[in-house]
Amino acid sequence: MHARFGARSGRRLVAGLAATALAGVGLVGCSPSGSRSSSTNEGSATSGNLVWWGWSPQIGPAQEFITAFNKKYPNIKITYKLVTLDGWDAALRPALASSSGPDLYGISPGPKVANYGDQAVDMTSAIKASLGSDWKSKVTPLDYVPQMYTSSGKLVGAGVGTSDGGSLWINKTLFDKYKLTPPKTLKEWTSDCAVFKRNGVTCYVQGAAQAAFDRDHLQAISNSIKPGVWTAASKGKAKWTDPTIVHALTVWKSLFSNGIMQPGAIGAMQFPDAQNQFFKGNTATILMGSWEVQYSSKRGMAAAQAAAGVATPKPFVMIPIPYPSVTGTSAPDYSMYGDVDYAVAVNSKSKHIAAAKTFAAWLGTTQAGQQAIANSLGSFPSLLSVKPDWSAVGLVDPSVQQAPIQALIDAAGKITEPRLGILSQDMTNAVGVAATTVGAGQATPAQAAKTLQDTFDAGK
Amino acid sequence: MVNGKQELAITRPIGSSSGGARDVRRHPMRPPGLPWVLPALVVTMGVIYYGIGYTGNVSLFNWNGLSDNPPNIGIKNYQGILADPVFWQALEHTIVFFVVVVVVQTALGFIFAVLLHSPIRFAVLYKIIIFVPVVLAPAVMAPVFRQIWAVDGPINRLLGDVGLGALEQPWIAQSSTSLAVIISIQVWEFTGLTFVLYYAAMGQIDSTVLEAARIDGAGNIRIILSIIWPDVRGTTVALAMLTAIGSLKTFDIPYLVTAGGPNYSTEFLGTYIFRISIPQAHVGYGAALSVLLLILALTMAIMLQARGREKEGPAV
Repeated sequence: MHARFGARSGRRLVAGLAATALAGVGLVGCSPSGSRSSSTNEGSATSGNLVWWGWSPQIGPAQEFITAFNKKYPNIKITYKLVTLDGWDAALRPALASSSGPDLYGISPGPKVANYGDQAVDMTSAIKASLGSDWKSKVTPLDYVPQMYTSSGKLVGAGVGTSDGGSLWINKTLFDKYKLTPPKTLKEWTSDCAVFKRNGVTCYVQGAAQAAFDRDHLQAISNSIKPGVWTAASKGKAKWTDPTIVHALTVWKSLFSNGIMQPGAIGAMQFPDAQNQFFKGNTATILMGSWEVQYSSKRGMAAAQAAAGVATPKPFVMIPIPYPSVTGTSAPDYSMYGDVDYAVAVNSKSKHIAAAKTFAAWLGTTQAGQQAIANSLGSFPSLLSVKPDWSAVGLVDPSVQQAPIQALIDAAGKITEPRLGILSQDMTNAVGVAATTVGAGQATPAQAAKTLQDTFDAGK
Repeated sequence: MVNGKQELAITRPIGSSSGGARDVRRHPMRPPGLPWVLPALVVTMGVIYYGIGYTGNVSLFNWNGLSDNPPNIGIKNYQGILADPVFWQALEHTIVFFVVVVVVQTALGFIFAVLLHSPIRFAVLYKIIIFVPVVLAPAVMAPVFRQIWAVDGPINRLLGDVGLGALEQPWIAQSSTSLAVIISIQVWEFTGLTFVLYYAAMGQIDSTVLEAARIDGAGNIRIILSIIWPDVRGTTVALAMLTAIGSLKTFDIPYLVTAGGPNYSTEFLGTYIFRISIPQAHVGYGAALSVLLLILALTMAIMLQARGREKEGPAV
C-alpha cells in the first residue's frame, strides 16, 4: 500500500504539477493586462448615479459636500464609500481593473498618481471651463499643480485642498493645568516632558510603525536643522547621507532616550493607536499636520473622542505650534511641507463621465465646493479666495484656537516643499525602516542614511 | 428493494474495474462519471490551476497590477528574491514559527487529550475552554492581543504587580520579542484543534491493549510513551503537515498584530507578499514570491508525508 502511495501518488502529483506548469507555459509571454477601453459617450453632465470612493473625507463631511452639490445639481446622485487608507490599494486596484469600479475615486500626489493616474480622465478642460485658462494662478500653492499630472502629462484632477505637515499639536488644556508654556526648542520640550511624566501624563505619542509619519517627523527635524535638504535628497539633488539627514536621524534617536517618545512607539500605529491616545486627553503633544484642524472644533473633537473610546467625551483645547527648534538657537517658524490633500479623479471606464467631471470640478474649483471644504477643516482649500467661515466652524475655544490655527493656514499658503508628492512608496517604506531601526538601536544614523541612499539609487 | 444494477455495484470487488469506459460498455444504464465530476473539475482547473498558471505568468513581468503592456523581465523577479534579505528573513521566521508551534502545540494538545481521557470532574467544561479559541476569528482577537501585550497592558502590569517589573517589555515594539508574541498567539488559538484531533485519535486505541499493558505492570508514563504516542503517530504527522503548510501561509495574526514589524521581525512570506504586491505595487515580484511559496508548501507536504509513511513501517 505504501509503495503504491509512493508511485501512484507521485505520478498524480507530477501530473498535477505538469498541468499547472502547462497552464503557466500557455500564458508565458502574454501581457497580464488587457487594453483599457474608455467610454466614448460621456453621458449627461447634469444627471446620473455616481459612486465615489475615498479614504478622505470622512462620511459626515462627504455627505455635507454632496448635499451642497445637489443644491445646484439635484439630478446627479452620489453614493460615497469610505475606504480605509490601509485597505485603499487592495480595494481600488482590482476595482479599477474591472469594468465595475467607482465613477469617482480619491487620488493624491506621488505613488497614487503614479499607480492610478492612468485610469483617470484628463480634467484639464473641465478645470479650465470652471476657472478660466489662467486657473493655475487661482489655486494655492502654485507648486502643487504639477503634483497632479501623470508622467504622460495628464491632469488627473483639481486638488480639493492641501495637506501639510511639520506642525506639533498640543493639548493646551494640559499645558495650562501644569503651568507649562508650549516648547520652542527641543530642550524645552524635554523639560516639559519631565514635568508631564512626574504627573502621570504621556508627553508625546507617535505611531512609529507607520512609515509615513516617521517620514513626517524626520522631515520636520531635518528642516529644523537646515531647511530644504530633505526635499533636495528626495529629488536626488542631495545625498541621503548628507550630514543634515544623519543629524536628523541622530536627533530622532535621542527622542527615544530623552523622555519625549512614549515607550512602545515602534510597535504603535499613528492611526488609530497614537491618534486615539491623544484624544483620550492624557497626552500632551502629537506630530500631526493640517488635517488635525478638523478636530479643533467641538463637533470634530467629540467625534474623535468617541472614536477613541472615550465614554463621556469632554473636549479639550488643542492648538498647533511650529516644530521645536532642535538646534535651539532661536524660536522656530513654521517650516512646513505639503501636498495636494486629494483630488477627485474620474474613472475613464465610468458610464457617467460627464456627470462625474461636473462633481469633481465643482468640489475642487467652485466657490461653493471650496467653501464646503474650508468649513469642514479637513483640508485647507485650494482656491486662494476661500477662507473658513469661523462662525460656522465652532471651535472649542475660539479665543485661544483661532489665532494659532489661522497662523498655520497662513504658513501653509507659503509652502514650497512637498510632503509625499515626490517620494516613491519604496522610499517611504525605506524611511520607515531607517527610523525604526535607528529608534530601536539596530542601526546607527549613518548606516540608516546609507540604506536610504541605496534604496533611492535602486529606484532610479 | 434492491435492483440488479445496485446489487452489481455493491457486490463488485473494489479495484476490480480497470476503466470506466469498459464499465459503461458492460452496463449501459450506469451513468457516466464525467458529468458528476465536471463542475468540480471546471472549478478546480478554471480557478485554482488557472490562477496558479496566471500567477506564474505575472511573475515574469515588472507590473504594478494596472498598467498596460508591462515589460517582460524573464526570471529577474526570482533572481531579485534570492538576493532579497527580507525574503530570507521571512523564511527564517517561518521555520522558527513552524518548529516552535509544532512542538508546543503538539505537547499541549497531547497532554490535554491524555488528561481529558482520564476520569476527571468538569471534563466537558475544560474541553470547551480549550477549544473556544479555535472558533474565534484572528481579526476579533488581534486588537485584544495588541492591548494585552502593549507597554501599559495587562502582561506588564501583572509582572509589575508580582515584583517582576524588571521584566516589563514593549513586547510587540521590539524585534527581540515580537516573534515570540506572534507564536504565543498562534499556540493559544490553535492548540484546541490539536487537542481535538488527539482526543479523537486516542478514542480509537483498542482498550484491551491498554488493559494488557497494565496487567503486565506498565505505569501511566510507560503506557503513554510506548502505546498511546506510537498509536497516534498518524495524527501527529497530519498535524505537522497542516502546521507546516499553515506556517508558510501565515498572514492574519502577524499582519493584524504587528503588521510584519517592527523592522520585518515578524515578516512572513504571506505578509511580505501582501506588502510587496499591494502597498508597494510590485505585483510581478509578489507573484514570483507566491510561486516560490507554492513550491515550498508542496515540497514541505511531500517531505512530511513521505517521512510519515517511512515511520509507519515497510511498504506492503
